[in-house]
Amino acid sequence: MTTTICAPATAPGQSAVSLIRVSGLDSLALLHKVTAADKAFPPREQVFCRVYDGQTVLDTALVTYFPAPRSFTGEDVVEFALHGSAYIRGRLLEILCAAGAEPAKRGEFSYRAFLNGKMDLLEAQGLCDLISAGNKAAHDLALSSLDGRLSEKLSGVKNALAESLAQLEARLDDVDEEMPPLDTQQTRSQWLAQAEVLARLADTFSVGRLIKEGLKAAIVGAPNCGKSSLLNALVGFDRAIVSDQSGTTRDTVEETLDLEGQKIILTDTAGIREHALDPAEQEGMKRSLRAIEKADLVLFVADLTRELTPQEEALWEDVQKTNKPVVLVLNKTDCAPQGRCGLEGRAQYCVCVSCKNGEGLAELKKQILSFVSAPQMSAQDGVMISNLRQYQAVLDAQTEVESACVRLQSASGLELCAEHIRGALKALKELAGEVTPDDVLGIIFSKFCMGK
Amino acid sequence: MYQYPNEYDVLVIGGGHAGCEAALAAAKTGAHTLLLSQSLDTIAQMSCNPSIGGIAKGQIVREIDALGGAMGLVTDSAAVHYHMLNTGKGPAVHSPRVQCDKKTYQFNFKHTLERQPNLDIMQDEAAQITTSDGAVTGVVTLRHTLYRAKTVVLTAGTFLAGTIHIGEEVFPGGRYNDMPSNELSKSLKALGLHIIRFKTGTPMRVNARGIDFSKFRLQPSDNPLQPISHFTDALQQSKRRFLSCYITRTTEETDKILRQNLNRSAMYSGKIHALGPRYCPSVEDKTKKFPDMKTHPLFLEPEGNNTEEFYIQGFSTSMPEEVQRALLKSVPGLENASITRPGYAIEYDFSDPMDLYPSLESKIVAGLFCAGQVNGTTGYEEAGGQGFVAGVNAARKTRGQEPFVLRRDEAYIGVLIDDLVTKGVNEPYRMFTSRAEYRILLRNDNADLRLCPHGFALGTLDLKYKHAFEKYQRQVELLKADPRHVIDETDMYPWTAQKVRFHVDVFQKYAGYYERNRKDAEKLAQAENIVIPEGFDPSAVKGILIESSQKLKTVRPRTLGQAARIPGVTPADIQLLAIHIERYRRLKHAQQHV
Repeated sequence: MTTTICAPATAPGQSAVSLIRVSGLDSLALLHKVTAADKAFPPREQVFCRVYDGQTVLDTALVTYFPAPRSFTGEDVVEFALHGSAYIRGRLLEILCAAGAEPAKRGEFSYRAFLNGKMDLLEAQGLCDLISAGNKAAHDLALSSLDGRLSEKLSGVKNALAESLAQLEARLDDVDEEMPPLDTQQTRSQWLAQAEVLARLADTFSVGRLIKEGLKAAIVGAPNCGKSSLLNALVGFDRAIVSDQSGTTRDTVEETLDLEGQKIILTDTAGIREHALDPAEQEGMKRSLRAIEKADLVLFVADLTRELTPQEEALWEDVQKTNKPVVLVLNKTDCAPQGRCGLEGRAQYCVCVSCKNGEGLAELKKQILSFVSAPQMSAQDGVMISNLRQYQAVLDAQTEVESACVRLQSASGLELCAEHIRGALKALKELAGEVTPDDVLGIIFSKFCMGK
Repeated sequence: MYQYPNEYDVLVIGGGHAGCEAALAAAKTGAHTLLLSQSLDTIAQMSCNPSIGGIAKGQIVREIDALGGAMGLVTDSAAVHYHMLNTGKGPAVHSPRVQCDKKTYQFNFKHTLERQPNLDIMQDEAAQITTSDGAVTGVVTLRHTLYRAKTVVLTAGTFLAGTIHIGEEVFPGGRYNDMPSNELSKSLKALGLHIIRFKTGTPMRVNARGIDFSKFRLQPSDNPLQPISHFTDALQQSKRRFLSCYITRTTEETDKILRQNLNRSAMYSGKIHALGPRYCPSVEDKTKKFPDMKTHPLFLEPEGNNTEEFYIQGFSTSMPEEVQRALLKSVPGLENASITRPGYAIEYDFSDPMDLYPSLESKIVAGLFCAGQVNGTTGYEEAGGQGFVAGVNAARKTRGQEPFVLRRDEAYIGVLIDDLVTKGVNEPYRMFTSRAEYRILLRNDNADLRLCPHGFALGTLDLKYKHAFEKYQRQVELLKADPRHVIDETDMYPWTAQKVRFHVDVFQKYAGYYERNRKDAEKLAQAENIVIPEGFDPSAVKGILIESSQKLKTVRPRTLGQAARIPGVTPADIQLLAIHIERYRRLKHAQQHV
């Protein structure tokens, strides 16, 4: 096997320790790379060392090196025992893949073990069942319209790229030199648009953004309903200026919160109020709207002690229009334990809290955290990437398309642009289906009058 | 019936571009070889255009040449015009094309064959392939002579049940004026081969006496020129007499005539049912498919030194003769030209290439190899490449040697044959650079580096070049490693210092892409090394998708790599296959060691 593969060896979700296994020729080199260590790793001994993410320490881990052939797969194997955090686990896999490893296919470790004589025929039967189940599931998935939305979206990209490739190939294979030269600017903007689609899709992968950069939650609501108090209650100290005078918060205030190892970025926005005459306040409100735009999650705060105002009603509608997930936070349960604001029935998620006595805050934190592991929320159209292999494929495709743009810009030759567009199509092959040379010729001959 | 006393190792049916390379290659490796042809006067005849090479095809000629085939050398010996195509684009797509004197080409090729030791040539027509126990035993000819042979290479071109169409006129023919081989076609069907029908076409030829060349754009021969063979001296070659080609366009009048007479074309009158190539459309096809394009390019090529005939590329048609005359008149400069031979469409039988192993041996009849147009391809170069491989493999089979198979990252010939036997054809197959996933590796400038070592090992390439070639290889490596390296040119001829520099320049330009392609190619080589054992039925593996299973049954891949390239077969299918192949191997091993 020429490739080196990696995958978590423990079940996803919260656990004290998570294990990542790497197998293949480059295992030891990858181990040296991520631990930035030149030291020898004695075979089959646990070594305590730091795992680096660039210059910074990602985690401390117990690593074990199993040189071939005395390992699970019969190849060089490295196992990382990390702390049980989704972020650390996901990030290490990303780092390994960026350094040349490939995410393992279903059953691939066992597959390699079998081919290297590490498994008997009986055990292999179980492996075959696993692979064929996956084969069928993937096949069914591709066929089902329900979960085929990802492949549908990628098909759009694929078709656009296939069309582009035909444009390039037609010129490369054009004997008569009949074809008009490629419109560089137009082609480039087409490619950039496809790269953008891929980039946005890659962003939906949890390890990609929410876990790495943190989940952005915007706190919105009418003036003086307790937004800053909520921020402070969540973060635990008085960061935002709190006063009874409504509209005190004019700048958006950002705080980072660590919830069970997960980074949450809270943004406190200015109270949104009609007829803001004070120019500073108008400016503050613009920022609030921007903060909502950027947020992954909106915490809509309402005051239980009073009726909902028409402005709040309008704001609720505005927030709904952004298609972002919203948690309705009903504040001041201490003053009005039986209060209602009228939005309860319309909110998908609703939590009652008291910023004063801390009631309900734990529940709210749990609610916020639940969005981190539900990354579909960050995809506007609900199309999302759900595993590392898909992520890697989409990311590779994006890189290829961007490289093609660079080649096009520097006029390095259409054959090199074609090389990258082919690379992008190859990366998308498993997700969106193959584009064969014959398909490309089909497009060429249906579009261009070529040949002798 | 007369039985020829000797048994041949390799018997080649057909003396076209595939047959000639097949016979030559087989004989060079030491096999006792016979070439049977209907007529010795049409051996290696250029039936269609008077040029060799072209985009992607030029690379194939260079590959045949590097392996020790004759197409490149004969082309240079008959050259009247050199043109390197695509020089405005990257070196990976530079393709040589050479206009030839058609008669010189065919006579020189015939002469090359006549001088080849181990090779007999006989003018007779094969009528039946004889078999015993599913393996070939020989060939019976129209004269009722039986030639016994251990292997047969079938290279019948378009002659199998060929039918020619000119407008409403229909008559049998393998090529204009030559009789088709109807008996042979029947014999192949009786052997169980799957016979399908294709069509192709050729344009009219005209007499230059009536052509006003001042109306055309002149395309002179390249100066300096690059010979198409690695072994031809460029300086000597440049002293030859060259002819020019001409470029012009059809007119709106042409378009009008085509439109008015569309239903009279054999293509559209319902007379032809077979599939034609999309990339080599007749001029009426172009009009029908691209109504917005009112004019189309025409390329006028001289047919040779001792003739006034010109070939008009772009005017391929099966219109009635009088329409062809009108078409000609509609082009400025050709108004007064007279047609010497009308264009025509030809329908012919070919044998499904999915019935072949990558060695080009039939899965149905052992010892029968097929090459060229009988496999559903078009083009002299495609035919020559297959011919070489089929000839070598037929000879190797008689000696019990492993077949010679080129990988997709090694040669266009590898891409060509792999495509044919793995994916089959649904139109006459022509090579394009877009078919090669390793296009950056498969270039005109490195065909020698890629394939000469194979040529030496096979015994098809003259060993007198070995020392010079190895020197060239070393100089290339030295210059790659150190740009200040001073190239030592002694004892390197026909390779030169200039060639070393050019190759290394191209290599540097593509250095990053080499690495990319190399990684993929390694994976490919690995999968190619896993041979699917005899007796193992890949389609019977449990868990494989039903669609894949059916495809595996049809293609019967020889290696895991080939299986993976069958359209629709998933990576998981391949994993399952790998496990079962290993399982099969272990069980077999266990049985042998009870």
